[in-house]
Amino acid sequence: MALCSARAQAAGAPIPHGTLELISEKQWIAAGHPFDVALHFELEKGWHVYWVNPGDSGEPPRVTWDLPAGIKAGAIEWPAPRRFGTSTIADYGYEDAVTLVVPMRAEASLASQKPVQIAANVKVLVCREMCVPGNGQVSLTLPVKLQPPPANVQSTPFFAEARKAWPRPAPASWKFSIAQTNDSFVLTAKLGRKITDATFFPVAESQISNASAQTLVPTAMGFTLTLRKSDQLLKPIARLKGVILLSGDKAYSIDVPIGVPGTSGP
Amino acid sequence: MKRSTFYLMLVAMIPMTIILCAATLLLAAAKVGEPAPTFAATASDGKTYKLADYHGKYVVLEWHNNGCPYVGKQYNSGNMQKLQKQWTGKGVVWFTILSSAPGKQGFVTASDENSYLAKMQAAPTAALLDPSGEIGHLYDAKTSPQMVVINPQGIVIYDGAIDDKPTTDVADVPGATNYVSLALEQSMSGKPVATPATRPYGCSVKYSDSSH
Repeated sequence: MALCSARAQAAGAPIPHGTLELISEKQWIAAGHPFDVALHFELEKGWHVYWVNPGDSGEPPRVTWDLPAGIKAGAIEWPAPRRFGTSTIADYGYEDAVTLVVPMRAEASLASQKPVQIAANVKVLVCREMCVPGNGQVSLTLPVKLQPPPANVQSTPFFAEARKAWPRPAPASWKFSIAQTNDSFVLTAKLGRKITDATFFPVAESQISNASAQTLVPTAMGFTLTLRKSDQLLKPIARLKGVILLSGDKAYSIDVPIGVPGTSGP
Repeated sequence: MKRSTFYLMLVAMIPMTIILCAATLLLAAAKVGEPAPTFAATASDGKTYKLADYHGKYVVLEWHNNGCPYVGKQYNSGNMQKLQKQWTGKGVVWFTILSSAPGKQGFVTASDENSYLAKMQAAPTAALLDPSGEIGHLYDAKTSPQMVVINPQGIVIYDGAIDDKPTTDVADVPGATNYVSLALEQSMSGKPVATPATRPYGCSVKYSDSSH
């Protein structure tokens, strides 16, 4: 432990065609308070890693945490992805760099004064024309104190950038509904203004045909977006959950029940 | 007796189906429950194989790219070769299909492929060379190793992943549920295929227009 704390606070690890670093937003952990760490991927130009739903090929990074007693990791906060691909195959992910923030909880009983080590083993697939699987071993040693921690200035921009790319909850005044035909879902959005550009990213695999064009029809109060069903979708599903990206960079989380065919929808 | 009646009925329905589907068959990809699109291709052994010649037999299609780590997982563990031997031993026709375009990862000449098959002790019925991606597109193959199972009536009964562990880790092979074996076993014993379609995990097929 003494050796670890003597080292640089964050140690980057090589992964195929890039590096992975575990970074902390704050300079120390305050016992009893939540805190954020992040997995920061820096990739060679043109290489990408995947979103939680990778789309037609690839797989998302998978993290195994090694945490001391009193610290628990939450789920990855995935920034809105982008779509790569052709009319045949489409994937969802992040090119060049991405910061995956992970909320952590520190129990009040966490002994103060003693630094703790947070470690993660990350299985990651890095792709450009081809794919290379790898493993990143990263760790971070942080002091535990009772006072509120100041920000870690080197990592602040990465956390700020990541949060900017998170999908926000859709405003309560927005109304979404989904009707379906044999081969498509039709998402109708009423946002109070005309929308001319929208892309949907499903959180679950095998619901929509990822490579098919999403057909947008602007309406006075929003839009309709036709999403072709996946050939792998053989049983009816009750909801579509995912991220809707408006005009290129404003992402919102939506979770919309699917209307029974022949009805006007919920 | 019952089976042959059913078979005759199917044969009788074929011309009708052809009329109905002819316009879309060229464009539409293979779909579970529908007739497998026919193709002819030259294999690494120099022979031409036509799907239509194997009517009456089970046929497995395996999309392959020797540089893809998901394919490597199946071959380095010996699992794919084991499946090929097990099922061809039971009369199943097994086509390994190479849809990588020239210059892309996984593109091979006939002699490259023959060396690979020998080195890996692979045992497909044939390795079909599809550098134009024609068969790949016909089946809307998205990944290697994507797997398709066709029944003796020429209907697609499985399309998707090789198993339920979408990783590149060889250690995941022994505990995995193999969807191809499951589909063949269930269908051969007269049962419906419980899992007829899954997400075909792996590397994207390296078609000439692929960019990722």
